[in-house]
Amino acid sequence: MDNDNNIDFKDLWKKQSVSQPDMTDLLARINKFKKTGLRCLWLTNILLLGTSAFIAFVWFYYQPQFISTKIGIVLVILAMVIYLMVYNKLLGNYKNIEANQTNQEYLQNLILIKKKQNFMQTKLMTLYFVLLTVGICLYMYEYASRMTAWMAILTYGITLLWMLFNWLYIHPKQTKKQQEKINSLIEKFEEVNNQLES
Amino acid sequence: MEFEQIYKTYWDRIFRLCMGFVNDYDAAQDLAQETFIIVWQKLETFRNESSIGTWIFRIASNNCLRQIEKQKRFPKSELPVHLSEEKLTSLEPQIQFLYKCIAELPETDRIIISLELEDIKQNEIAKIVGLSEANVRVKIHRIKEKLTQKFKENGQR
Repeated sequence: MDNDNNIDFKDLWKKQSVSQPDMTDLLARINKFKKTGLRCLWLTNILLLGTSAFIAFVWFYYQPQFISTKIGIVLVILAMVIYLMVYNKLLGNYKNIEANQTNQEYLQNLILIKKKQNFMQTKLMTLYFVLLTVGICLYMYEYASRMTAWMAILTYGITLLWMLFNWLYIHPKQTKKQQEKINSLIEKFEEVNNQLES
Repeated sequence: MEFEQIYKTYWDRIFRLCMGFVNDYDAAQDLAQETFIIVWQKLETFRNESSIGTWIFRIASNNCLRQIEKQKRFPKSELPVHLSEEKLTSLEPQIQFLYKCIAELPETDRIIISLELEDIKQNEIAKIVGLSEANVRVKIHRIKEKLTQKFKENGQR
């Protein structure tokens, strides 16, 4: 305290003008917050259920004969379900991170979650693409087998080219951006955490 | 404790903590509101293991740390450069200068000094931040030294 000299920091600190917003303001924000949280949940579920229902409809309506078609459909659905499930869980983890911890514990948790997120994003995306590609190729086989050889090659060729384009161009680009963001965040959180250790 | 009562009692203190962290009035207002949203959500889970103050300040300071993620959206507001040269005598610039200096400290130091200036006991600060009491004492001492130094350099006395 000797170093304060004649500067009363506490006095200055408390003189900062503060305007307490009306409680109704906050309650309105809480309501909005609740609604958007729910909307997000609904959207994911509707998307998941809708797509699955559509694929199931295709299955029943067109009555595929080949087992490869059925396996293909299952793989595609599986790819989506796994992706959405893991993604939601990760998001949930992150949203529900225990707020009442010491700053040190909190920072370490943030770092851990970000690292997990980093790992999941790369591994999960790879799994998603492999399942989707294999699933679609299997699914198409039944219909391609009824086409002329040239048409079949063309159909597979275009599909595979599109997948390759996604995998080799769009995917790395996206991953790189996300990766950079997460890595810089991990770095920053670690730096802040180290402040507590010095 | 009722939420409304907590809100009325703690808003100013939480706001100042956030303000010390970001030195941006609007951003601090947002951070304080976010804190109270979390408090509102978690109030049921509060068991009197710690004092309600410690509990709320933990939530608030953690929320401040988390906003690092959104930092790009809140560029730190710069004070006019000529401010330091004017040797102003009124109190207002001194307040601004204090908050500016604090917001320039390392993140955890901002939290520690803000809590200290809020008259929170050092053993409570230790519980909020997760350091030993001795460590907190040393840190507060160093931060105050740093702040005094900055004030002297700028003739803000």
